[in-house]
Amino acid sequence: MGGKRGHPVIVCRCRDVTLEDVEKAIEEGITDLETLKRRLNIGMGPCQGRTCIPLVASILARKLGKPVDELLIPKIRAPIIPVPVNLLLKSVDAKGERGDD
Amino acid sequence: MLKVKEEMIKTRILIVGGGISGLSIAYSLVKRGVNDIVIVEKSYLGSGSTGRCASGIRASFTSREHVVLMKHSIELWKKYAEGELGQHGLYYNQGGYVWLASREETAKTMERLVKLHNSLGVPTRIIGLDELKKLVPPIETRGIVSVLFDPTAGKSSPFKTIFAFYNLLRKKGVRIYLHTRVEEILHDDRRVYGAITSKGEIRAETIVVAAGASTRKLLEPLGVKMPLKNLPRHAMLTEAYREAFKPLVIDWDTPGVPYIVQMKSGSFLIARNIDEEPELSLYSQRIDFMPKAVKPLVRFFPWLRNTRIMRYWMGYYITTPDHHPVYGPVKDYENLYIATGFSGHGYMLAPVTGEVIAEWILNNRPSIDAARKLVLERFEKGALIKELAVVG
Repeated sequence: MGGKRGHPVIVCRCRDVTLEDVEKAIEEGITDLETLKRRLNIGMGPCQGRTCIPLVASILARKLGKPVDELLIPKIRAPIIPVPVNLLLKSVDAKGERGDD
Repeated sequence: MLKVKEEMIKTRILIVGGGISGLSIAYSLVKRGVNDIVIVEKSYLGSGSTGRCASGIRASFTSREHVVLMKHSIELWKKYAEGELGQHGLYYNQGGYVWLASREETAKTMERLVKLHNSLGVPTRIIGLDELKKLVPPIETRGIVSVLFDPTAGKSSPFKTIFAFYNLLRKKGVRIYLHTRVEEILHDDRRVYGAITSKGEIRAETIVVAAGASTRKLLEPLGVKMPLKNLPRHAMLTEAYREAFKPLVIDWDTPGVPYIVQMKSGSFLIARNIDEEPELSLYSQRIDFMPKAVKPLVRFFPWLRNTRIMRYWMGYYITTPDHHPVYGPVKDYENLYIATGFSGHGYMLAPVTGEVIAEWILNNRPSIDAARKLVLERFEKGALIKELAVVG
């Protein structure tokens, strides 16, 4: 996926998205981060967008000739970091609730 | 984008809603030679129920109308995946659905359901635990008394699907405007003729409203009353793991019918219905949902304890009183059509939704008779349709 640069520039490490993928998606007429997120699966891996979203925001801002802070940043989804199921289940047990009400 | 004041957008068909239903309707029109179409979406593509859905697809329903329409839809899913939409990324993974019964009476219900499905041409069957183990190797079978298997059911990717439609439709000349909100539908006594949007005015010969959770409010000023409720639902994804099993697995005997399906990315999608008030915001998250959804499934998949939950989100089931969609024309307006109220099944029905609405617009009636019973008027006339098992 390196294209003209000869080697891939990785933008999203969780989902293996390259700079070329981002540029291609923008050429498809996608000009907002929420749509780019769904088109490329960026921001949807374990890092929850901490690495890729700022990078993609700056690529998009450059392409559109806009400052980055004019772009709407995608909504953050819980949990902020992946949570072990074991821990979730303990939280239920500790409160004495049944998970199957 | 739309040019305010400089020029008014004119189109033969205006579709309100850039979700799977609106895109599929546009595609079915394009297939029939109509490409003078404008689609407006108030937010990003698939931002309503489409992108939030669990992606399951099945024909094993409990009403004739649902079974007939979904059988048709599955044929189209397969055809689309093999054709030009497939080249743009749409796929259909026919891994089946597995329904688990833990109680003898549920086992009996399943036998009755299989008879109903088979009589309508859907080849569901009861399978033994050996076959279950082959389909779902990492399952703990203790306590399972019966298993219903639907081999024609499957899954796909909502995002891959909508972008396949989006890119193909743009190539065919369909104009798609994102982040463009319809503020008012323009109408006189008998006809609709356009819309005022946040980006300017559009004139249209025909309007289709496939706006999901926004449909009811959008049509209220026209005197069109729709018995729709937006019911919040929750879902979550684990981190990605190697492929463990293909079917979607449903625990039928736990209230709220928890289910689990592994996505192409490797993540397991886990969901369960918990009691919710209609119309609640999609950002009123319930952290208690997470343990509640996963706990009953740990019984069947003890290894789930060692997975991690990566993402959690909410979406609406746009429900009608009989849990069947609202399709087709509206009696007071001769050029207004509706496609919404799917009650959690809009994604899977989308290919057939496209066909039905396109035929209604172009031929004045859909070729599938079952669709004609789903017009809005049925609620006034009391001709409701019964659906006994609403899952996923």
